[in-house]
Amino acid sequence: MSTSFPHHKYYSLRSPNNVGRRHHRRFPALVHCSATSTAKAKHKADQLVIVPRPLTPPPITKTPDRPSIKDPDLLSTWPHRAWVASGCTTVLISLLKCATGSAHSHIWLEPVLAGLIGYVLADLGSGVYHWGIDNYGDASTPVFGSQIEAFQGHHKWPWTITRRQFANNLHALARVVTFTVLPLDLVFNDPVVHGFVWVCSGCIMFSQQFHAWAHGTKSRLPPLVVALQDAGLLVSRSQHAAHHHAPYNNNYCIVSGVWNEFLDENKVFEALEMILFFQLGVRPRSWSEPNFGWIEEIETPSQTTVY
Amino acid sequence: MASLFLPKHSLPSLLSTQIPKTPSLHSLPLVSKSSHSQFYGLTFSSSPSLPLPSSSSSSSPKKASIFAKVSKGQVPPPFTLKDQDGKTVSLSKFKGKPVVVYFYPADETPGCTKQACAFRDSYEKFKKAGAEVVGISGDDPSSHKAFAKKYRLPFTLLSDDGNKVRKDWGVPADLFGTLPGRQTYVLDKKGVVQLIYNNQFQPEKHIDETLKLLQTL
Repeated sequence: MSTSFPHHKYYSLRSPNNVGRRHHRRFPALVHCSATSTAKAKHKADQLVIVPRPLTPPPITKTPDRPSIKDPDLLSTWPHRAWVASGCTTVLISLLKCATGSAHSHIWLEPVLAGLIGYVLADLGSGVYHWGIDNYGDASTPVFGSQIEAFQGHHKWPWTITRRQFANNLHALARVVTFTVLPLDLVFNDPVVHGFVWVCSGCIMFSQQFHAWAHGTKSRLPPLVVALQDAGLLVSRSQHAAHHHAPYNNNYCIVSGVWNEFLDENKVFEALEMILFFQLGVRPRSWSEPNFGWIEEIETPSQTTVY
Repeated sequence: MASLFLPKHSLPSLLSTQIPKTPSLHSLPLVSKSSHSQFYGLTFSSSPSLPLPSSSSSSSPKKASIFAKVSKGQVPPPFTLKDQDGKTVSLSKFKGKPVVVYFYPADETPGCTKQACAFRDSYEKFKKAGAEVVGISGDDPSSHKAFAKKYRLPFTLLSDDGNKVRKDWGVPADLFGTLPGRQTYVLDKKGVVQLIYNNQFQPEKHIDETLKLLQTL
């Protein structure tokens, strides 16, 4: 079972049927354009002569893992949909328990406040998890390895999250929410507890959707989503874009982003990184120059064209 | 845009991070008014005499206190350490001119890199003031050599093996002893401490504060 906040379950080399690889063999290798011209300077005794060299053809690089918008790994499957349904069910049960319990007890302020706290803490939790996954471990790390690999893929090809179908994007978080919230639904009846639980778990489960919207363009997003982003209630496109610059060490929160300014200005993650470095000897990835696997590849038209 | 940014005055923070000559006694300070370190907006302090791993010393007094062992107006304990080239360097070598001795956590960490580069970029100003700059951390000479080479640092970096000098000078640790502190001392021509500045997470400020003081020496 994967734990909370898988950010971007991108298809990996470990995918059971390696559909992605077969998919790429059917299509021309994508060209990674980097046309350059070089000049060779010949220095003579008194004269510097620049001899222009003709443009070399752009190198064709085969990158089997590079995504295509027709990649089946971006599509939702019935298991994905089932997990999203189960996650939503557990959240709805919590919501109903909150509503009925509040009506029965004639209270409303406390459950609403609890919900607000849940909303705020969901954002913080998303940031802490994101920071941990971005900076520590690798594909071979137990439990989190696939998540770390997926995060790496997301950093390299951030636009693909907008091509991912809904249940495909959310199913991993929905699975975590199912296993976490179901016991809470069974054990607790307190409306205040459920006020916190349904909002917090709902925000966590849908954080991948908020994240996908944060990678969208204004013209393509529903007006309501844009309004919520502009109001700071959902993480904004600009705030999240700031995370996608090397060394990828800020703006980690992805529910509302309400914690980002505080955490970044007070260097909270830097402090945690220093503590881990001095106590455990582990260096976070963000301290080093990002390696090729993490640096964003710029989306080219061939990656967005449907064949 | 909604944001969760707590105003500084609502957090226990210092306006000044200069250490007074006679700080008051506290027991187990989490927050100290006479403190040493400022984690931007938050203040956490630990005394070198508290039983914390990074600052424990058998020669420290057992009574809890937040006295810095070196205070303004005092002559700090001498030291002889190896520099990045393996040569031994003594504090006495710098007598006769002002010297900025800055203790930093470790090479190749973000704050320390920013600080070293900031000293590098202002090095001419320090030279103009007739001052030397010396950085001290627990890293070995080879680490210092690589660090100095990578960032083209023109000043001396000393290896404080076992953090002995750090303890002798009473450089306080941060965040409940989990981090070596970032503290800078400015010594005048007679070797007397004229400024002690501590700031873990705003390393560039060390340069501004020390230059400001050097103008008056």
